[in-house]
Amino acid sequence: MTMWLEKIIGDLSGKKRYLEYKKRIRQLPEGYRQAGGALERYLLNLGPSDNGESLLAMLEDLADLLEQSVAAGTPIRNVVGTDPTEFAESFMQNYGGGSWIRKERDRLGKAIDRAEEEDQQ
Amino acid sequence: MGKQATEMLKGVLEGIVLAMLSVRPAYGYEITAGLRGQGFSEIAEGTIYALLVRIEQRHLVDVEKVPSEKGPPRKVYTLNAQGQEYLDEFWRTWSFLTERLEELRDGGK
Repeated sequence: MTMWLEKIIGDLSGKKRYLEYKKRIRQLPEGYRQAGGALERYLLNLGPSDNGESLLAMLEDLADLLEQSVAAGTPIRNVVGTDPTEFAESFMQNYGGGSWIRKERDRLGKAIDRAEEEDQQ
Repeated sequence: MGKQATEMLKGVLEGIVLAMLSVRPAYGYEITAGLRGQGFSEIAEGTIYALLVRIEQRHLVDVEKVPSEKGPPRKVYTLNAQGQEYLDEFWRTWSFLTERLEELRDGGK
């Protein structure tokens, strides 16, 4: 994971932002830190893994959410809900780029668009 | 709140949040707390947060960072003109949908 991550976040400012994010997660109380790690894993595997800017924005927003939740005393379960993948998916939709799954969904949509055009001619 | 209600709510949540923001500006936690107060007890804080990120990216709200006593600054969301337009459209769609559904219910009697 570390190797491709370095490739994507690339330049120095990207790396700095990424390390800053990591530091923010480390400073969270244990339960929130664990939840953050689990969400990060899911989001990095399925999310904008080919777009550095998108990826950093996503991680920073995740850190914002967790820090705010700690400050407001929101229990972890209330942050992610009864279906954590559903939360992660709706969260991820805000950021462009993505895993092969997301690319395949996009490809299917475009293929059907083209098929429709053919059909109408 | 049952499974069916949760599913139905998903489709209109954006409209509900924009409608709440049309009454007065608010930050994320206030919105979730407001929804819970109205009986939408299963709404996750994170889901609302993701929705707020989305409506911000689509420029339906203006955002101001306000310092808070404890923790990080809060993002306060205010409905803007584009958001108001979107909300008007949401209410038109809502009226259309409820009218059709009422018709269906009456027709079924």
